[in-house]
Amino acid sequence: MERTVEYKDYYKELGVAKTATEAEIKKAYRKLVRKYHPDVSKEPDADQRTKELNEAYGVLGDAEKRAAYDELGRNPRPQGEQFRPPPDWGSSYESSPGMDDSDFFADLFAHVGGRRRAGGGFQMQGEDSHAAVTIDLQDSYQGARRHIVMRVPQADEQGRVVTRERTLEVTIPKGVTEGQQLRMKGQGQPGSGGAPAGDLYLEIRFQPDARFRTEGRDVFQTVPVTPWEAALGGAIDVQTPSGTVSVTVPAGSQTGRKLRLKGRGIPAAQPGDLYLLLEVVLPPANDAKARELYETMAREMAFNPRQKTGA
Amino acid sequence: MTNNLIGVLLEDSALSLQELARACAVEPDWVVRHVETGVLLQDGPAPGQLEAWRFTSVDLVRARRLREVETVFDANAELAALVVDLSEEVARLRRRLQVLGAE
Repeated sequence: MERTVEYKDYYKELGVAKTATEAEIKKAYRKLVRKYHPDVSKEPDADQRTKELNEAYGVLGDAEKRAAYDELGRNPRPQGEQFRPPPDWGSSYESSPGMDDSDFFADLFAHVGGRRRAGGGFQMQGEDSHAAVTIDLQDSYQGARRHIVMRVPQADEQGRVVTRERTLEVTIPKGVTEGQQLRMKGQGQPGSGGAPAGDLYLEIRFQPDARFRTEGRDVFQTVPVTPWEAALGGAIDVQTPSGTVSVTVPAGSQTGRKLRLKGRGIPAAQPGDLYLLLEVVLPPANDAKARELYETMAREMAFNPRQKTGA
Repeated sequence: MTNNLIGVLLEDSALSLQELARACAVEPDWVVRHVETGVLLQDGPAPGQLEAWRFTSVDLVRARRLREVETVFDANAELAALVVDLSEEVARLRRRLQVLGAE
């Protein structure tokens, strides 16, 4: 399947002239990448800008790719025709469903690895490729399948460069944790002169989920409870990543109490644990009956939470 | 055309020295230098047996970051290691904040 991509002015992206030297391009990139690095930047679009900067520098910072890009600029296409990337542009990836490429190259360093290396003779193994795939936490409990769309620039019969898409269906094993790398041998860049292709590395990322946080194989989940469940204790049903579980809340619990469900974290030979963090939620006093109940408690319970502070 | 592929976790099948070098687009000497100075760790048995060196996900990510900082900022290995250490610490602290429900 052929696919074209939109023309992007990489010089404008980096704020340099078309005549800029290699050193000037590097200097501009360094300055901007520091400004927008997601670890330190307060800019609202830091992730997006970092991704764009990496793409621009990936081309302009490489003499061969820059020359091919400049060639396109000198030979403008008829109006309406879209930009076609030059050869050896480097392939990129998308995952589906959603085909949202925002998962890719989001990190300052995610694009590294595309540099060419000197090889001996006419045979050279293809470069390794790197991308990321986003899954739900629940997928790590069961394993998952994802479609990865790989874009590879190739010359067509007329010698024009087109990007062809190759779809890979990837089985992600059960028990993966965030940041781990999956390797797929022979799925990177094609080799030359009959040499084997490089490998594809996929970084596992978890889709952010307001209900769950993870740390390695351990999973953390906040569980809202009523004041009477917390005070009196009892069994409650909790929707965990591995399904509904009946959990006993100990009597006298407070917000912040941590209940550990051993082995219910991300599965493995030594599975992680699931930590439930209790959060006591007060019912609103928004009708006469509720107000009356609160007033009764206020009158009949000798309770002053500020006693220890001397109030 | 759709290929059905099974991804192999680096925790189940770790990379050799040569494989790590290729994945980072560096020469094996670069990896050896960084392991010898303690900037990169390897999970193999003995420091001298290069064939037995093994690298997992954490090592691959770290090696690629080191390479990137060295290349883009013309940083020496120690400075690049410091940047990557700080970057990893920020990521670790952010994760703790998330776990504690503060972010």
